[in-house]
Amino acid sequence: MKDIACISGVELLMDYLEGVLPADLHAALEAHVAGCARCAAFVESYRATPRIMRDATAMTLPADIEASLRAFLRERTRAFRSRD
Amino acid sequence: MLSTTPDETLAARAAAGDDSAFEELVRRYQTRVFRLACRLTSDTDAPDVLQETFLQVYRHLPSFRGESQFGTWVYRIATNAALMHRRARARRPAESLDVFLPRFDANGKHAATPAELQVAACADERLDRQLLAEKARDVIAQLPDLYRDAFVLRDLEEMTTADVAEALGVDPATVRQRVHRARLMLRGYLSDLVGVKP
Repeated sequence: MKDIACISGVELLMDYLEGVLPADLHAALEAHVAGCARCAAFVESYRATPRIMRDATAMTLPADIEASLRAFLRERTRAFRSRD
Repeated sequence: MLSTTPDETLAARAAAGDDSAFEELVRRYQTRVFRLACRLTSDTDAPDVLQETFLQVYRHLPSFRGESQFGTWVYRIATNAALMHRRARARRPAESLDVFLPRFDANGKHAATPAELQVAACADERLDRQLLAEKARDVIAQLPDLYRDAFVLRDLEEMTTADVAEALGVDPATVRQRVHRARLMLRGYLSDLVGVKP
């Protein structure tokens, strides 16, 4: 089986997680991560990053912006229809 | 009951002039579109993008053929509106985030220890929630645009890679490469935030 170094393993991570790596590379990367504590730790933090950023940037629609949207759409859709 | 009516049925009714159907569609997607707009532009610009998106949706409802899901179609319109809006703004020079990329020794082995490499996974437990929210918004805005767009759509909005590729007009491999670069930078940034060199 092909040997993989940490640096090349990192470059393959996204394709690995998306399941688009060729089978031999997929197996080689899995074998490397299984035997490399550094890569196992790296993969854990790499996988957690989207969730942390997603949760941190989650938000609700403020009531004043929702009200402005409603008023805007009422006015503009009416104007749009009256052109027809 | 409008609240249980499928999007596509509401879209057909709205296209035929049913205002309550259009209002229901707006209600369903307004928060998601606003959140996308904040992530692709800024809190200041997001309200304009929100308005522009639903105006475009309204105008183009008659041409919606149901070839994609209604939500995907709305997201595509919102993405285009956000990108157009951002292009019209002078871009502030972004600070390079390359400093947060992982480091390797001469043999291609991670330079950091396992504990140091893992720490970013716990950033949300170690940092104040409000501080993390502010820092996350700031650093996403600092990503190079190509990486930001792919990361926001794929990882934050959780669109499929194929849908992101279609929305951005690139192939899926390019999306994966851009998302990967963004993840590497942001992972390192989170590590740095909790005081550990990536």
